[in-house]
Amino acid sequence: MSDVPVLDSAVVSGLRELTPPGEPDVLADVLNIFLVEVPLRMDRLRNAWAAGDIEEVRRAAHSLKGSAGNIGARRLYEVCRQLEAQGTSGALAGSALVDALGVEFGKVEVEIRRLLNNS
Amino acid sequence: MLPLQVLVADDEAVSRTVVGAMLKKAGYPVIYAPDGEQAWRILDSDDPPALALLDWEMPGLQGPEVVQRIRSKHLQSPPYVILLTARDSSADIVRGLRGGADDYVTKPANEDELIARVSVGARVVQLQTALADRVRNLEEALANVKALQTLLPMCAYCKSIRNDQNYWEKVETYFTQHSNVSFTHSYCPNCYDRFVRPELEALEDARAAQEKQRRG
Repeated sequence: MSDVPVLDSAVVSGLRELTPPGEPDVLADVLNIFLVEVPLRMDRLRNAWAAGDIEEVRRAAHSLKGSAGNIGARRLYEVCRQLEAQGTSGALAGSALVDALGVEFGKVEVEIRRLLNNS
Repeated sequence: MLPLQVLVADDEAVSRTVVGAMLKKAGYPVIYAPDGEQAWRILDSDDPPALALLDWEMPGLQGPEVVQRIRSKHLQSPPYVILLTARDSSADIVRGLRGGADDYVTKPANEDELIARVSVGARVVQLQTALADRVRNLEEALANVKALQTLLPMCAYCKSIRNDQNYWEKVETYFTQHSNVSFTHSYCPNCYDRFVRPELEALEDARAAQEKQRRG
């Protein structure tokens, strides 16, 4: 997975182009929402994981996957996809994926902050 | 025609914002709902949006359930509903479409595909609206025809017609009110001989008599 980008630049420039003339920047808007929403959902997922609530893990992973997909966070997306698949199968494996979730989010956050500072 | 309003319902704010921005860029006015319950409330209102993009998986009411509720209302011009789904198994897609959705778009949405599908929806809604207008016009015309097909009581002497309120009306008045017919007055050859000619002749005679008196 190391050759997969943290943020897909094609998706990012697609978002940048969504801004109509004279309107607030859609890319910045979306990235800021991502930075607020995603940590909340990751907390929910970790709590559900700790409580053994498989359905809630699946649901949180599903919506995290959606958020990641929309900004082109492809590595984070892949981790979420695997977590959701585990939730669907009903058998949660070791905590490696939950740890990976935090790690991958950290990388995405760095990229996002860089983008937001440059714009 | 004004661009049709689109409802975007998704509990996940990033996706909701991105999809909304894509639609706005394409010129559609957008309203948002953060869950299925609120989406249903908007769609169940007196002036619902013409198009709806509903996320499949939302807490509370899920997309397919909202679709079912819309369909059970049997509206003459129901909104065109597209399900947004991360599910891409054909079994799920078939289930969504069988449940009453008009179309589906897989998430994350590709801008060009999303807008193309929404514009198909807009076309369907516009056709539907035009068709409903046509049907209404035809029904009105038919109602008029029916009004004229009933048995009309008519006076055998003066030819007045008794209307629904039991008043006697002139034929002209009755038909003007109950159809698109309007009248212009003239006379037929028989009535010319019977009424017009004698009057003209009487006038002529009166004038001749006057002339004679003046001279004599």
